[in-house]
Amino acid sequence: MPLRILVGVKWVPNTQAVRIDPKTGTLIRQGVPSIVNPNDLAAVELALRLRDQHGGEVIAVSMAPPPAVKGLEMLLGMGVDYAYLFSDRVFAGADTLATSYVLAHGVKYVERERGKVDLLVFGQETIDSSTAHVPAQTASWLGWPYIYYARRVEVADGRVRVERVVEGYVEEYELPMPAVISVAARSFKPREVTLRGKLRAKTEKPIKIVSNKELGLDPRCVGLKGSPTIVAKVTYLPEVPRRKEVYRPRDARDGARWLLRKLLTDPETRDVILSALWGGSGAREG
Amino acid sequence: MPGRVECDKLCPEWPCESPEEFKGVWVVAEIVDGELAEASLQMLTPARRIAEKLGEPVTGVILGPPGSARHADELIKRGADEVLVAEHEELSEYYPEVYGEVIARLAAERRPSVILLAATARGREMAPYIANTLRAGITADCTDFEVDEKTRDVLMIRPPFAAIMLAYIRTPFRRPQIGTARPNVFPVPPRDESRTGRVERVVIEPPKPRARLVSRRRLGRRETPIEKADVIVAGGRGLGGPEGFKMLEELASLLGGVVAASRKAVDAGWIEPERQVGLTGKTVKPRLYIAVGISGSAQHMVGVREARRIAAINIDPEAPIVEQADYTVVWDYRELVPALIEELRKLKEEGPRYLEELLKGEVVEIKPGGEA
Repeated sequence: MPLRILVGVKWVPNTQAVRIDPKTGTLIRQGVPSIVNPNDLAAVELALRLRDQHGGEVIAVSMAPPPAVKGLEMLLGMGVDYAYLFSDRVFAGADTLATSYVLAHGVKYVERERGKVDLLVFGQETIDSSTAHVPAQTASWLGWPYIYYARRVEVADGRVRVERVVEGYVEEYELPMPAVISVAARSFKPREVTLRGKLRAKTEKPIKIVSNKELGLDPRCVGLKGSPTIVAKVTYLPEVPRRKEVYRPRDARDGARWLLRKLLTDPETRDVILSALWGGSGAREG
Repeated sequence: MPGRVECDKLCPEWPCESPEEFKGVWVVAEIVDGELAEASLQMLTPARRIAEKLGEPVTGVILGPPGSARHADELIKRGADEVLVAEHEELSEYYPEVYGEVIARLAAERRPSVILLAATARGREMAPYIANTLRAGITADCTDFEVDEKTRDVLMIRPPFAAIMLAYIRTPFRRPQIGTARPNVFPVPPRDESRTGRVERVVIEPPKPRARLVSRRRLGRRETPIEKADVIVAGGRGLGGPEGFKMLEELASLLGGVVAASRKAVDAGWIEPERQVGLTGKTVKPRLYIAVGISGSAQHMVGVREARRIAAINIDPEAPIVEQADYTVVWDYRELVPALIEELRKLKEEGPRYLEELLKGEVVEIKPGGEA
């Protein structure tokens, strides 16, 4: 049975590229490029594998400003069939609840255009805020069952089987479809973008940009207005006081002995080391 | 503050309720393998602080199969004023929708102003579902909480961006205010034997789960999870390859500790993701954290803020870790770690005699009652 699989993706600033100005101690955000959230690529890969196995189509969905088209083109290059970008000024400033509201209605929109959806997959969390909220919230709006941390996924007889590892257990769940699945980070190594895929993205342009006029959502339910949480203020994380003692040794042994002397005269670390070496309380009679 | 909520300005999908009608701070306690999760007990620390500022009680919430009420006492002794217990055969297995739905129903009925959950795997999965079901705001991975005494809003403080900035999140019009915090961000409150409190059993009919648990088995031999270790030896990209971790393993085992890693080492496939420390990994609180070949990015260091001491071994004297560690040795780890292992072996075998030799000429801090 062919599957229609949607993948929710986020267009995020590449936080790895953010640097701190050494003079002012402030963030340098300028020139920080945006990318498709890296964990979402594992979700895309899972969707593509299921499609390759069962037939059907993979559709990327995202709520983002227009430049995110670039990211969606990259996904098309990987082999995604279509993409929908829900983009409107009124969506700006959304927290996770307002974001999932748009995404859930976006899923319904795609269903009206293309037919029933079997699976909605997400990446584990985003690099810019890492809340992992949106998959569960979207499932809640849609009324679909959901599961997090999937590392193996199989579909058979209209049901989906998910294996996950959480806190020391391997668990296997079976969910009826449609369902929402959030994929464990690094579980599916994303395939490369192909030239053919890139070409198709450029020529066929299978990306549809949908504004709120078409989606028809109450402006009070989206963006900043539709967000119960607001950012009241932002400050820098206070520095943890540290001793900052630095030693350039003559040789490795000298360095090792310096470090041990420090650790063994420091009441914070002395006992834990001596008790590991000698057993007991660490204060052996001597 | 009456008149604060203007109903016609709110999303019609949300119930329009006045925040003043909501009272109490809830802590949802997670039970794993018949035991209260330590991470849930840790949430009693911020819960008490918030509750005292608001002048409202702390309520522990327990879901589980019959018999789960036996955990209520522990919650009370560690800071809860009362405990709600929902026992049902159908709650023997955890399903996010079922647990989420039951908690949301209880909250809709009893109207707490705050709900806190530990951001364990289950907590992260279930909390946003609860929030959405209630159309309430949620803030993940809080590192601190403040109470605005004028509005009685709880400010949920979290590192949102690149682990450098702290955002203060406010939920002005909706209740309950839901927040999660990662394990080890807050301490477990001390047990106070004199504390007493009311335990209330609630009658609930959980919704039938649509998902089905097919199998569940414990993973084989488990090392100490990094979030529980007293000593952690962590490796980063500077190790240059997976072999480096063998050396760190040896050092860690001499120190009674475990091995962990930075994101870069995990991304390179040198070590399993469960060992990752930092923003996208775990938060740890060892007495001693030894960072080997780790440059010290903000995203990594946010995971070791609670470490009592940080030692670094790095060949680069300009690496950011140098400014964030207590003790740094600037040297190639390939030579320094073996030298450390050798010194520790001698210390292990020769005992206090070697300790004396090592510390010759050092001023030793003597703890009261301890001998040095």
